Amino acid sequence: MKAFQYATAHSADSARELVAGKGAYLAGGNDLLGLLKEYLISADLLVNIKSLPGLNKIEHGRKFWTIGSLVTVAQIEDDADIKKTFPGLHEAAAEVASQQIRNVATVGGNLAQHSRCWYFRHRDTVCLKKDGDLCYARNGENRYHSLFTGNTCISPVVSSLATIFASLEATAIVLRDGKETRMSMAELYQRAWENPLAHNSLSNGDLILRVEIPTARTRSAYLQASDKHAFDWALVSCAAAAEIVDGKLKSPRVALGSISPVPHQVEAANQFLDGKVLDEATATQAADLILKDAKPLEHNAYKVPLAHALIRRTLLKLKGEA
Amino acid sequence: MSNWPAETKYIGQNTPRIDGAVKVTGKARYSSDIQAAGWLYGMILRSKWPAAKITSVNLDKARQIPGIKAAVRARDGAFTVRFYGEEIAAVAGTSKQACLDALRAIEVQAEVRHEFVVNETEARKENSAQVWEGSANAPANPRPRENGNVDTAFPECAAVIEGFYSTPVQIHNPMETMGNTVSWTDDGLTAWSSTQGISSVRDGLAGALKLDHSKVRVVTEYMGGGFGAKFGAGVEGMLAAKLSKEANAPVRLMLTRFDQALAVGNRPSSFQKIKIGATADGRLHAFEAENYGTAGIGAGGDSGGGGGGADIPMPYIYQVPNTRVKQSAVAVNAGAARAFRAPGHPPASYGMESAMDDLAAKLGIDPLEFRLKNDPHPIRQREYKLGAEKFGWNQKYQKPGSSPGVVKTGIGCAGAAWPAGGGSRDTHGDAQINPDGSIEFRFGVQDIGTGTRTVIAVVAAELLGLKPEQITVRVGDTNFPPGPGSGGSTTCASVSPAVYDICQKALQQLQTQSGLADARGENWFAACKKLGVNPLVVHGQWQQGLSADHACGVQFAAVEVDTETGLVTVKKVLAVHDCGLIIDKLTLESQINGGVIMGMGYALYEERVMDDLSGVVLNPNFETYKLPGLADVPDIEVVLINMPERGVIGIGEPATVPTAGAIANAVFNAIGVRVGSLPITPAKILAALGKVPPAVAA
Repeated sequence: MKAFQYATAHSADSARELVAGKGAYLAGGNDLLGLLKEYLISADLLVNIKSLPGLNKIEHGRKFWTIGSLVTVAQIEDDADIKKTFPGLHEAAAEVASQQIRNVATVGGNLAQHSRCWYFRHRDTVCLKKDGDLCYARNGENRYHSLFTGNTCISPVVSSLATIFASLEATAIVLRDGKETRMSMAELYQRAWENPLAHNSLSNGDLILRVEIPTARTRSAYLQASDKHAFDWALVSCAAAAEIVDGKLKSPRVALGSISPVPHQVEAANQFLDGKVLDEATATQAADLILKDAKPLEHNAYKVPLAHALIRRTLLKLKGEA
Repeated sequence: MSNWPAETKYIGQNTPRIDGAVKVTGKARYSSDIQAAGWLYGMILRSKWPAAKITSVNLDKARQIPGIKAAVRARDGAFTVRFYGEEIAAVAGTSKQACLDALRAIEVQAEVRHEFVVNETEARKENSAQVWEGSANAPANPRPRENGNVDTAFPECAAVIEGFYSTPVQIHNPMETMGNTVSWTDDGLTAWSSTQGISSVRDGLAGALKLDHSKVRVVTEYMGGGFGAKFGAGVEGMLAAKLSKEANAPVRLMLTRFDQALAVGNRPSSFQKIKIGATADGRLHAFEAENYGTAGIGAGGDSGGGGGGADIPMPYIYQVPNTRVKQSAVAVNAGAARAFRAPGHPPASYGMESAMDDLAAKLGIDPLEFRLKNDPHPIRQREYKLGAEKFGWNQKYQKPGSSPGVVKTGIGCAGAAWPAGGGSRDTHGDAQINPDGSIEFRFGVQDIGTGTRTVIAVVAAELLGLKPEQITVRVGDTNFPPGPGSGGSTTCASVSPAVYDICQKALQQLQTQSGLADARGENWFAACKKLGVNPLVVHGQWQQGLSADHACGVQFAAVEVDTETGLVTVKKVLAVHDCGLIIDKLTLESQINGGVIMGMGYALYEERVMDDLSGVVLNPNFETYKLPGLADVPDIEVVLINMPERGVIGIGEPATVPTAGAIANAVFNAIGVRVGSLPITPAKILAALGKVPPAVAA
């Protein structure tokens, strides 16, 4: 990597000032150091933000719970109250990478992580995402890539937390230009849908401060399918959340990861599920709606039946945990 | 034939590794731990093009980077590179960062060739780019190897199947990457190498650098695994030597995981088209196969262990009266293959054992029964029967695809043969017996991690009536009497007879010198004391009659397959193996466990992925070059057949041969359709089940 300077910030505002120009926030560092070591990005100054006060807490409110952006993935995984209140969040956290990585990985870093596309990550390929001329994956090795995209790049979002947060309708609170901005998960990734150069909608200097999760959906579940049994990326991930009132779904939301640059959500499916009694047929119809417009490529078409199975299983899991 | 003692205290028992403590406490010095006085880091600049003519390499700016002490070219003058990652230059400096900066400062002028090919199926086509200018990538018409007459035999068969089975290029990924620390001064050269052949590294370095063999010393105290690719110093070793000379300091040049994926060996791929038929009574009658695979730009770089080529033994362990086999190696713009744990055998086993089960299904025969009918080898016959009983084959077996539900279960089996595994007559060793009764063995072999020190200690303790921990063993230094490389599963069968020889001679001399009738056991210290002040030094050598070759082995696998997610879970592998006289059960079982896990990686996860358009390896890391982790590893049960009458035989290679075939057959048994390609990924399972929709045009 290139040489850089290092600073520790003690307030969010000073962190933002330090990072302006060619700086980067450093929390867990899992993604950042990999990018720096491969010369995929460079930064003149790394601003340690682990020191920022108040961002490493999980706070319980009646209508919302707040998770600070410096809370580690392991903290979420190990939190008994989260497991009870948002079981899907617990499940998503437990699937992230390995124990060692979960111990240092933060919520903010998990949400802001960059593409894992192997063309993007390769030091000697200059793809669209690196301001090159073409997406190598589109006609190349695309087994891990998207079924949906709004642009030519087919690199998918891989944050497990984004998937479950989307289903819980969580909001990210982002410090932007000195002001707190609220972004849904759809908004947090929208720019990646449109622009191959973007991994998310954050601009340089934007800092995720916390995530607010409404408590209304008392049921939630997360499943992912991978090549291996542990410490492997999801081929597809799926999260669902809802309330169940009189045996019927209320405000259901389904979101999928690793098949689109954004957490994949289909409003028509959520509306279809609303008020329904969950059974195999309902879940199957919802899965059909969610995957209706999938555009499989040469090597990733298997993700269609895989996603279909995960949607059905995740939805039925909501029911099972009565 | 064997003269090994019938009653044993240590041989064939469970002796913990004598160097276990230093390994787990971190005191053992691996090659990558060596810090010779004043050492520098070394790093290699590699080609970022899959094919190019390198016209000039300017090192001036690299030399100006603070901390850089040397910079050398991989080759003089203009030269051609034929794969992504081929070595161009190297630097040595006082820090990793200085080296990284220097690599980026090297100015390379190149005429980039846009015609290249990394896909072996494309490379066979007539209009393909040529890897070697003016020469076809593959022979147009490989000569068939024939027995009997397949053309008349197939019509005589009651059942015939045709299958296509492919295996990927597997990358050499020992936990310790390739590399050396080299110190080259006017007095000579010392290399601390991560090698499985200290002698071959010495000979290679001496030859290439035009030094007397006596001026080159190679030391390998401990090394983190070698599976056929670590017999030579490699280009990286030569570069380290040149850097050391230029910098006048030792240079440690260990490859990165990224480097490891490109230029230091792999197992060739295979694409096996197999047609096989049997008579109504279930006897194999005809076999026809065409196979091609790629060994990259060529095979055999640093392949002291033999093999490394794309050809595989067909029809593997089965005797078929009528056969025709055509094979060809296809050149592509990728790093050369090298020997890889049982070269040729795992792909051969996967292809043939898959075809066997496909044919058994067509015949409606239990695949185990089918094997017993067609594999006459008496040891495998015994192993299949013993294994079937322990595994509960008859209780568990159900017809392919008959497992109910979404998550289906299946079982499978496969056999192995390993023609080597015997000892090398060129194995020498010394023992120094001191008047205080301490004893030290010195062998110019190396321990690639399998427990060579422990083997030597166990044999010596048994024969001298001592305890293994009373034996000091030194290996891994060319200053010791020469021994063979650790390839072909030969080290155990090489050193054990030599230790036997040394012990016999030592006892004779001790008895003569001390006047004691038996110097063993409780008399040992009294006998040694009578040596006075001079230690007794005994030289020994491998002797005939104490070792053999040709181990067999069969494995059974039980799997679960989720037919909606495609995930394969291996629940159990039962491995039945023979290796003649067992020396130490603990290290033996450990080696078999490792073989099974490696075979499982080959079956389900490992695959080099290259990009046709850019020519790069897309997965030069453990994120996407997937290896089994603890959560993937099943219950492994090792069943050993001790055959002292055969003498000592190595086990390293046969242990990994049948695993992929057994797992693949278990998957077939579970889902009732064949996944004809390794690794068996969820994507391929779902495709085999007909669940995957067609692609939409990009």
